Amino acid sequence: MDRRVYVLGRDSAPQYLRLEAGEELSMTLVIPPGLSGREVLEVDLNGPGASLDLSGVYVCAADERVDLRVLVRHAAPGCHSRQLFKGIVGGTASVAFDGLIYVARDAQKTQAYQENHTLLLSESARVESRPQLEIYADDVQCSHGATAGYLNPDELFYLRSRGIPEAEARRLQMIAFLAPVLSRLPEELIEEIHAGLS
Amino acid sequence: MDDLIKDLSAQEYKDGFVTEVAQEFVPKGLNEDIIRLISAKKGEPDWLLEFRLGAFRRWQRMRPPYWGHLKLPRIDFQDIIYWAAPKRPEDRPDEIDPALLETFDKLGIPLHEREVLAGVKPKGEVAVDAVFDSVSVTTTFRRTLAERGIIFCSFSEAVREHPDLVRKYLASVVPVGDNYYAALNSAVFSDGSFCYIPKGVKCPMDLSSYFRINASGTGQFERTLIVADEGASVSYLEGCTAPMRDENQLHAAVVEIVVEKDADVKYSTVQNWYPGDAQGRGGILNLVTKRGLCKGTGSHLSWTQVETGSAVTWKYPSTILKGDYSSSEFYSVAMTNNWQQADTGTKMIHLGRGTRSRVVSKGISAGHSENSYRGLVQMGPAAEGARNFSQCDSLLIGSECGAHTFPVIRSHNPRATVEHEATTSKISEDQLFYCTQRGIAAEDAVALIVGGYAREVLSRLPMEFAVEAQKLLSVSLEGSVG
Repeated sequence: MDRRVYVLGRDSAPQYLRLEAGEELSMTLVIPPGLSGREVLEVDLNGPGASLDLSGVYVCAADERVDLRVLVRHAAPGCHSRQLFKGIVGGTASVAFDGLIYVARDAQKTQAYQENHTLLLSESARVESRPQLEIYADDVQCSHGATAGYLNPDELFYLRSRGIPEAEARRLQMIAFLAPVLSRLPEELIEEIHAGLS
Repeated sequence: MDDLIKDLSAQEYKDGFVTEVAQEFVPKGLNEDIIRLISAKKGEPDWLLEFRLGAFRRWQRMRPPYWGHLKLPRIDFQDIIYWAAPKRPEDRPDEIDPALLETFDKLGIPLHEREVLAGVKPKGEVAVDAVFDSVSVTTTFRRTLAERGIIFCSFSEAVREHPDLVRKYLASVVPVGDNYYAALNSAVFSDGSFCYIPKGVKCPMDLSSYFRINASGTGQFERTLIVADEGASVSYLEGCTAPMRDENQLHAAVVEIVVEKDADVKYSTVQNWYPGDAQGRGGILNLVTKRGLCKGTGSHLSWTQVETGSAVTWKYPSTILKGDYSSSEFYSVAMTNNWQQADTGTKMIHLGRGTRSRVVSKGISAGHSENSYRGLVQMGPAAEGARNFSQCDSLLIGSECGAHTFPVIRSHNPRATVEHEATTSKISEDQLFYCTQRGIAAEDAVALIVGGYAREVLSRLPMEFAVEAQKLLSVSLEGSVG
């Protein structure tokens, strides 16, 4: 499978992708701390049996403004898509996630999933999530899930009661939260993101 | 063949008859004189006329909302009669026209208190406010309710008898300029229900409003205001039907609910306006603004809606959770068939600390219909410890329909939790096979599966409503399988 990683602001990430019959693509977008801007990505699943595994991670700890827009269009039958976007927002940063799954009339046997989870760290941080499903075929399985939450105080207590200092414990919680996406990245990039969490 | 289809679609909507009754109308069209005329006909005080005119001037500067996932036919607001009422016999103005009694009888709405008391309808008592076109025909059980200090009457009466209450709460939840249709309603609203539950009173029976459109070429613009004072509780039901016509009729209502400290309001709707025929001709355009304000600490508001009718539904019953530790729920089943379009959902605006909300929405689309869930969950900066859970499922029956989900989650608080999930799927072959293999006909099997799918919402409805809703679902599904 084709596996790609793009760090926004460093790599030039594609804005439009088309997958033909049977093509498989795995792609991860990284929005590193300090980066603001709008990222638009549109993927067409154009041939039967195409498969997309898309994920993203954003870490915004200061005053970033991130606007992430993803459109996955199922235009052919029997395609699969899976999306996972996770991020942490602190400081006075603000993140908007807009993700649409579109399933055309003839795209039967589609399976499409999308998840977006955000942790808010501070009073002035903002998140707006708009996961959307627009479906015109009936024999499909589609779902999306979105959450906005905060670091679980019970977990924090557990770690601190075992002698881990609070700041370190919080960092561990954030690492664990992002792990499902981070595990798809090369080692040195993971290190870099870990270092950016505090 | 065409006749057959016509027959079938005629059968499907059993409440599509027209009542022959002498009616009076105001002239067609909308301008300040019409508003003055409506206001004069209702004998309204000056402040209300000013309220209407203000709303009208505001409305003229507004544009209709375009963001719905709907194809709305162009509405000519000058081609609508804004007020229609059955004439009262001049010699006996207090009696209800037997034709009207018969109408509501046919719809299964009891307007005779005696009959209800005698136990003909064994399952509990329900006080009914029956609205026919632009006026309230009667309100039952008023004396029983008045003994406990509960006010339940038509909106026009409330304006006459309790102007201070109406003035205090009118437009306090849905401001005049809230949206295009709310502004229109504020300008021309006809009748509706007013309900006030005083401090600490638990309403002994369900209150209910029943809306009927009868006249042709008219629109219905009712206004409902429910106020539950400190510690009060009430369960309120709303039903509606209309005759079958080839024209689109407009229904633009406003419902406002104020829930004070520790009060509890349960608002249930079974919406069964005429949905249009199998070719998508006619049907009601249901463009409604409903909103509740959980004003006090610990207040609670619960919405339950079953939407099966209307050619177009544009409706978002919403709650503003202002009081600390207030809570709200939204349970919805929206069913569309043939060429119906529904864009419906809820808004939960969390302002107070520790506020909770829960959203369960079940959409079912069949035929050529379009069914959308649209919702907003917002956590304000002060909504510490607030929590929301939303679950939106869509069921598709047939390959020509569409099902859509457009939620917005907005969090401004690092100590609030929002969870949303949505799924879309069709009735699985396995489930169908299981039923048909046990001798259940395919159509019954679908009704059964849909019933199970919608159960979580239907079980929230008061008993009689739940039975009616279940029936409506299976009737609306007729002809959509195979």
